[in-house]
Amino acid sequence: MKALSVLVAIGFIVGVIFVLSALAYLVGGWLGGAAWVSNLLILLLGFVMIIATFLTLAERKWSAMMQDRIGPNRATINVPGLRGRPLGGVFHVATDAIKMLTKEDFRPKVADPLLFGLAPILAFAPVLALFAVVPVGPVVRVKFDWFFIHANSPVGLQVSNPNFGMLWIFAIASLAVYGTSLAGWASNNKFALLGGVRASSQMISYEVALGLGLIGVMMAFSSVRIPDLIAGQTAMLWGSEGELGWLGKVGIPAWGIFLQPVGFIVFFAAAFAETKRAPFDVPEGESEIIGYFVEYSGMKFGLFMISEFAEVVILAAITTALFLGGWTFGFGFDSTLTRYFTSRDLGWLLGAIYATWFWVKVLILCYIQLAIRWTFPRFRYDQIQSLGWKILLPLALANIFITGALILLDPSLRSLAVVGVLEIGFVLALTLKRAEPAGGHDSHDAHGTADAHGHATAPLPGAAAASHH
Amino acid sequence: MAYKASKNPTTDLRERLFIPELLRGLAITTRHFLRNLFNPRDTNTQVVDRKGANLVSTVSYPEEKTPYPPGYRGLHRLVPRDDGKPRCVACYMCATICPAQCIYIEAGEYETGDPAGESRVIEKFPTQFVIDELRCIVCGLCVDACPKDAIRMDTGLHVPSEYTRSGFVWDIPKLLQGPPVSHPSDPWNKRPGSAPPQHQHREAHTRIGEGLVPLKLPGGEPHKRTEVTDQAIPVTRFLKE
Repeated sequence: MKALSVLVAIGFIVGVIFVLSALAYLVGGWLGGAAWVSNLLILLLGFVMIIATFLTLAERKWSAMMQDRIGPNRATINVPGLRGRPLGGVFHVATDAIKMLTKEDFRPKVADPLLFGLAPILAFAPVLALFAVVPVGPVVRVKFDWFFIHANSPVGLQVSNPNFGMLWIFAIASLAVYGTSLAGWASNNKFALLGGVRASSQMISYEVALGLGLIGVMMAFSSVRIPDLIAGQTAMLWGSEGELGWLGKVGIPAWGIFLQPVGFIVFFAAAFAETKRAPFDVPEGESEIIGYFVEYSGMKFGLFMISEFAEVVILAAITTALFLGGWTFGFGFDSTLTRYFTSRDLGWLLGAIYATWFWVKVLILCYIQLAIRWTFPRFRYDQIQSLGWKILLPLALANIFITGALILLDPSLRSLAVVGVLEIGFVLALTLKRAEPAGGHDSHDAHGTADAHGHATAPLPGAAAASHH
Repeated sequence: MAYKASKNPTTDLRERLFIPELLRGLAITTRHFLRNLFNPRDTNTQVVDRKGANLVSTVSYPEEKTPYPPGYRGLHRLVPRDDGKPRCVACYMCATICPAQCIYIEAGEYETGDPAGESRVIEKFPTQFVIDELRCIVCGLCVDACPKDAIRMDTGLHVPSEYTRSGFVWDIPKLLQGPPVSHPSDPWNKRPGSAPPQHQHREAHTRIGEGLVPLKLPGGEPHKRTEVTDQAIPVTRFLKE
């Protein structure tokens, strides 16, 4: 019974996403050349902000389930039909928002008035601007003729498609550091300043690894425009010659995660540090210094918090676009689906299906980010710095060299994919291997068991290939 | 037994790579998440007895209440007699033993010939019996001290909340609640001519010198053992004449 209601809720969420995507395509088609306006409103203010808002609830609810608790379930709305039904706590989104908006907006007397007010804006605006170049759905021809509304124009769910693509993301992501460091300084509070300094040093450190982690993908597809990168990922590395019935062309797609697993991990870790969430939440440090927003209250604090969750959504969206094939199904089904809908002039329906699939991937990645937050303890400050400079940076550089060499050797990307898949297999094999008994080399340990000597790591086939880990 | 901490812990390849361990950690959290998401929660208030795949151990308090253990000391009550008056005889033992000094009693005396005095079987009664529930430390000594089983803490209730301090001062009308209690040994149950009491003392716990327990005299005749007798001891002997 509960499983059924959970499935119904998941279906409802997917349905809402589908309806919103279809609406975005239809309105975009109606607007024609000015489709970026509807994309701006529906993608940024609709999708990103709504998902970010609901992630504030999901953070509380999902973390509760991971920790065997119940989570928020008390808020109800006193109207017939909803009375006494918390519906899994969704109304806490509304209570949180009302609380944020109606709390006292306190400014310390010694704080710098201008910069204190500017900091939340500077923290929030770049995060939202990041999403402008992320494509959510493919460019399809939207064609309909209802009463006095006509449309016949190509529409893609992307606010803007500049030729500098990824560079926009690097540039704007660096700007977010101004918000945090300004907030730390303008509060005129030593803990806030400490948090601001920590935040800026952490974000600048990981900026390098963030950029270098994506170089491999850009090299593989020879572009920095994200739609081009997604188009490159639709190609099959190994696939069937013809189409297999309704499944279409089946095979392994050239997804970024197969080509660039190391780049994926470097980028994901660096971007995670950019979001300043656990395990990289030393700048916020709830348990000791509170961080750069210690003096903020009301909706100014709310802006910091919502920007953090918007970063989660955008990081998931960029990862989906660059490493998980964007909106494509990848392993099959794409070619038949496209032909079916384009032959019937239902481009908007095709786009809506693909955009829904994109958002489903994004939500799964959001879940993984939240699960990471609630699984791992916080890194110590020196560990953060050494992870960024001593591990991720050399790893990214080595990855770039190896990727470049493999692309030069084999422009079909297949050798790159072989290495990548072997790396994934190596990590998975290590993960699934039965844990060695605690004790390791220390055979004098009373807890050590008889077979605890040495490493039993089997020489896996991928070990040599993955030697640059 | 001491755990040996090493500054250079020997780790295997998996731990040095870090990512396999991350994935295993994520698998643990996700397993808990999915189990709790898809399975209904058992609402058994005894958490250790919960069944099912759901691992949530919360008792959702106002809707689900864990029953208190049998010896739980709840809100006081003054135990009524069958006629609805408190069993209390205003002996001040509870007020004397109370470490928090939260009990205040004023005693009254039945007039001679007053039918309520039940032929002076009961001499005293409380005209005021007040407990300051804010000062009470819920130690239960008053219950132990009471010779007449007149005060109990068996309601299983908490002191209800009030807006003023004076609301927590409970007097007889508020304290006198619950089912009436009657013992066969109650004096008013042992008037001459009443039916013989159901309860019979079967233990030889009467006073030394009354025949059942002989005095132990040094060098005298071999003394009898103290023994449990089947002979009924007439309790009416304790009645006031």
